[in-house]
Amino acid sequence: MRSPVLPLTWHLARSSGRRGLQSQLLAAGAAAVGALVLLMLLAAYLGSGVRADRTAWRTPEPDRHGTAVQALATTFVRHEPVTVVSLAQLPDRRPTPAPPGLSAFPRQGEVYVSPALAELLRKLPANQLADRLPKVASYGTIDAAGLASPDELVAVVGRAPTDPAVSEAADGSGLWDDGLTARAVVSGFSGGKPSVFTRSDQQMVLLGVGLLVVPVIVLASAAGRLGAARREQRLAALRLAGATPRQILAMTAAESAAVGAAGAAVGALAYCALLPALARIPYGIGTWYTGELWVGLPWLLAVVAGVAALIAVSAVSTLRQVASAPLGVAQQANPRRTRLIRLLLFVGILVYIRQSASGGDLKTGQLVALVMLFYGAFWLFGPWVVDRLGRIAGRFARRPATLLAARRLSDDPRGAWRTVSGLVLAGFVAGFFTVGHLALGGIDFGDRVAVPTANGATAVTEARTLLREAGITATVSAGEDDFLLAGNDGVTVAVPGGVEKIDAALTALQPLAGGRLPYGADYGSAPDRVAGDLLSDIGTATLAVSFLVATASAGLTAAANVLDRRRVYGLLRLSGTPLKVLDRARVRETALPLLVLAGGTTSTGVYAAYQLNKAAESTISTSGAIQLAACLAVGTLAMFVAIAGSRPLLRTVTGDPARSAE
Amino acid sequence: MSIVLAGYGLTKKYGSTTALAGVDIEVGERDSLAIMGPSGSGKSTLLHTLAGIIRPDGGQVLLGGERIDRLGENRLSALRRSRFGFVFQSGQLLPELPAEENVALPLMLEGVPRKQAVERARRWFAPLGLDGLERRRPGQLSGGQAQRVAIARALVVAPDVVFADEPTGALDQATSHEVIRLLTSVTREQGAALVMVTHDADMAAHCDRILQVSDGRIGTYDQFTVA
Repeated sequence: MRSPVLPLTWHLARSSGRRGLQSQLLAAGAAAVGALVLLMLLAAYLGSGVRADRTAWRTPEPDRHGTAVQALATTFVRHEPVTVVSLAQLPDRRPTPAPPGLSAFPRQGEVYVSPALAELLRKLPANQLADRLPKVASYGTIDAAGLASPDELVAVVGRAPTDPAVSEAADGSGLWDDGLTARAVVSGFSGGKPSVFTRSDQQMVLLGVGLLVVPVIVLASAAGRLGAARREQRLAALRLAGATPRQILAMTAAESAAVGAAGAAVGALAYCALLPALARIPYGIGTWYTGELWVGLPWLLAVVAGVAALIAVSAVSTLRQVASAPLGVAQQANPRRTRLIRLLLFVGILVYIRQSASGGDLKTGQLVALVMLFYGAFWLFGPWVVDRLGRIAGRFARRPATLLAARRLSDDPRGAWRTVSGLVLAGFVAGFFTVGHLALGGIDFGDRVAVPTANGATAVTEARTLLREAGITATVSAGEDDFLLAGNDGVTVAVPGGVEKIDAALTALQPLAGGRLPYGADYGSAPDRVAGDLLSDIGTATLAVSFLVATASAGLTAAANVLDRRRVYGLLRLSGTPLKVLDRARVRETALPLLVLAGGTTSTGVYAAYQLNKAAESTISTSGAIQLAACLAVGTLAMFVAIAGSRPLLRTVTGDPARSAE
Repeated sequence: MSIVLAGYGLTKKYGSTTALAGVDIEVGERDSLAIMGPSGSGKSTLLHTLAGIIRPDGGQVLLGGERIDRLGENRLSALRRSRFGFVFQSGQLLPELPAEENVALPLMLEGVPRKQAVERARRWFAPLGLDGLERRRPGQLSGGQAQRVAIARALVVAPDVVFADEPTGALDQATSHEVIRLLTSVTREQGAALVMVTHDADMAAHCDRILQVSDGRIGTYDQFTVA
């Protein structure tokens, strides 16, 4: 016999009226936001992997039987890195295949540049950039296949094997050369070592994903709990009509999964529509190619299915409590108390995290695991704090709104915690990232430029001549003791007057460096700066998404609470309770735990950032405190806006007191 | 007996349906009045109109001689809070508040300090047979006990009129009689009038008067004396 579950679910969903539709729309909206955020996270994770892979060809993969010499060099202009790949076909060897992004292997004298570099070459005076490359009538173009980002500055130069830029190029063994230079005989471009500028991208995204996954799950589970009161009523009515608990659970799962899937599908469509806009958000080396952020159809469908499943599980688990003790839940006979064991577990987990983290040198996976554990600890601790807060506030409350809020908190601490958990955890993210911006600038070499050259003594004179001819006033010295030269022979030049002068000096001094490229402070601090910039990018993105998700979650829960409690609100208003008292109670019910718990997590975030900075022997970001204050202000404001968003709903559901009485 | 609440020429329409078609009604001090009638007859509309919950399309409602049907929502709300008491079928108690705080709530809303409000609320528990249940939550009370808490809440502000809308609709027969007896007697003792909507003639019989409403009009008018 055909199961009646699906037809009956469909019929009940269709006939649930405006109130049912409101809940379903809210749940679908939450599913849409959840799916959108998850797809964005996935896109960033997969995309950063793709980007890293697309830079791997530039680092030569040695092959003793190779056909060409490949030299990777890095120079900086306006503090931005320019990757220069010099290629020389070896004589009497079979032709080397074209590198990615080029139609053919470059012939001697040919120069190919990325579109962003071509633009910069047009914009900047030749003596600041173009003169660092061989002079050509026109540049070839490196297309997207050879680039990780439309903003990347890359040049591929075809040279003779005897050209010093190939034969004497740095081989990556210098102190500052890590990932910035390399040289080898190659037979192709199948290198597996991503560029220094992209190799940490994916790990950093993973850290952000770890911080954001929990708020997204909170949002989806809040969506699943929407309309719980309506479902409870339906449960009672259907049980009376003879439906089995299994049928009711199946109906709930089917309805919530359908609503979740519809919402998630909208979120997926929004992701597709937003792809070009998302691709314009810079991360690490710059903006993205749209294709890099496309997760593919299987992942897209998996996320839609996952969000729908999450919402269904949340709805069924809520209903299961009703099914197991329908009377207790319906009448809320007993407050949902929390036990002291939560506090003990919380302390235990924090001690474990502290001990695990104090060893330092954590891999990203371990760091993410610890962050998840920290979230788990707060998930245990949060309701306990809310319960105690409710009891304390209940004891001392003088006004009706505070009393109502306090009693609500201690009546259902887990529910109250769910409302604020997103923002509370976002507080940790804010505390960690704003204060934790590592000042990993390394050694400050100021405005100095180093020119590695074999004969430092004569090079001083040559350097002065080159600089004079270029119209640059600078102080040249034999730099054997200068740390910027890292023990190599050469000269160092102090170039006052800003980045334009430094760029001009780097260009002017190039003939002096033989096969190498002169470099400045940017070169020496590149890996640290990359890490610092990535952390900053991830921090900003994580913060923005955290607050978005947490605000959506809080707004949704607030709206759901109004819908679930419409009758009692209506009757209270009918008996003369002013709307503002009900509204104040709702606000206090959220504000009280938020202030205490978000304060706690933010402080923990600051402490974690302080420890991280200490371990990295770095200083705390000086602007962090201001950013943190701004984040807290924005977060608090967002929360109140989210709650205020359901005020019209409260007004509507209590607007017809006569209906409440019936 | 002086008139505390009166409605004259009350009319109310919902679309093409006439809920009240020119009703005149007077309620005196300590008066108890049962409004009966079939479903859809307009009895609840009449109660809500008298209580300032619904505005009539025509006619006027007077409380202590002052017209209240044209007051703004805020003033009406304050009036309902301070001069009226309400008892409904169910669901009027806040599930998270203990019984004594549910009773004290209207006083706190009127600005009475919490300690005094709770003390005044507690005084109602023994007379209503609720001694020892002060800290119980509504979910931990029986239906009859919850209704008695609702009666205490309605009376704690010393209202002029208590409105009861099917107050025994969710109770068994024995408990219903007990609750109605308590409601009528305590209301009278407090000097308040009672206006009760019910479909149960046995319950209505506890009131001084019974008003039959049919098609938005007052039909038969009988006068009873409580035995």
